[in-house]
Formats: sequence, structure tokens, C-alpha cells
Amino acid sequence: MKLAVFVSDFKLATDTLDRLKAEKLGIILVQNGVYHATTKENGKASSLLDKTPNLYALSDDVQIRGMKDADVDKRVKVVKYGDVVDLIFNDFDKIAWL
Amino acid sequence: MGKLTIGCYPGLVGNMGYDFALKLADAAATKGHKVSIWFSGNATGSVKANQKHLKDYSTGEKHIKALLEKGVEICTCEACTVARGIKKDEGIPGVQWNAMHWYLAKIHAADRVLLIGGE
Repeated sequence: MKLAVFVSDFKLATDTLDRLKAEKLGIILVQNGVYHATTKENGKASSLLDKTPNLYALSDDVQIRGMKDADVDKRVKVVKYGDVVDLIFNDFDKIAWL
Repeated sequence: MGKLTIGCYPGLVGNMGYDFALKLADAAATKGHKVSIWFSGNATGSVKANQKHLKDYSTGEKHIKALLEKGVEICTCEACTVARGIKKDEGIPGVQWNAMHWYLAKIHAADRVLLIGGE
């Protein structure tokens, strides 16, 4: 199963993610979840970014919080709503919301 | 083109999940996908017509109308809605009122399902 998980909050959801079994896991950071891609605590990036190489952050939600797409961790691809639709239909079989 | 069903449970006022659901629906419909939205819980408060659009205050009516014009199907949980004091004749024209079986049917017919919120 190819699973995309929307992470909408800036709290670690790793315990939930660890329980999800997927041959391909994608994490789409939206709303306050985008802080995982932009914020470092004690110099360290969010451990959420270590869960999968398939990381995305919604540009609208980055910019509306006063940050730039360039502030996003290089491992994370910045996407727009239309790109999220394409991810949902073309890259993943199932989608979940955390 | 695919079919996307969105279950939207958060309330509308200042709620990011509600806002996301409508924007995602709009993006999917713009790309030609068939989109269905099920409002439940506090999200049902958004189907009342004649909402006053105050500056910097979240409302749903104009976004819902725009989605309906794009062919997005929107249905509100009738029980949730009437429980919040909203009568059917006060609703936004074009929004369907039905029970959970409507949502279940859309889920079964959909290629992708996204449930946002819920307690």
C-alpha cells in the first residue's frame, strides 16, 4: 500500500506513523504541520523528516505563516494545492489525516 | 479522472481543517475530478444561508456556492444540522441534506477518501 499521511499539527506524530505499515509512505505537511519543515529545536530538525524521503509541505500554509518556501528543509518538496491533488491520485493509494 | 470524497468534521469559524477541505475540493474539481464533501459535526453550521461576511472572519457560504457551481456535491448531516438549530429551509440552496448512508455510498464509490477532523 502506498500511503500519504497529512500532518496538520506541530507535535510529533511519530508514534502513530511508526504503527503505519506502508510500502511507500508520504508525509504531506499542512497547516501548523509545516513547522516540522521550517523549525529547528536546539539546532535539530524535526525527527518527522527522518521517517520517509517522500516529504511535502503546502506552500500556501508556509507563506501564510510569514515564512518563505526557501525556509523549508531541503528534504521537503514545496507543493501547491493542485500538486496535492496529483499526489493523492497518482502517487498514493490511501490517504490519512493526523 | 478520479473521485474524491472528503469527510469534513471541524467547525467553520477560524478552523484550518475546514478551510483546507474546501481549498482541496476546489483544486481537485478544477483538475476535473469528481468531488463529494460530507459535512458532519460542527462543520454543518456552515450550510446556513445568509451568513454575514465580516472582515477577517471565517465564513463558508461563498466558498460553498463557488464549489457547487463547479459541480462539487456537498451534503450536510441532517441530524447534526438540525441539532444545531438550523432548519432545512434556512440552508444554502444546492447543499444536500441526508444521513450517514449518503457518506457511506460516496466512500464506496470513491477512488480516494480523506476524513478531516472528528473527535
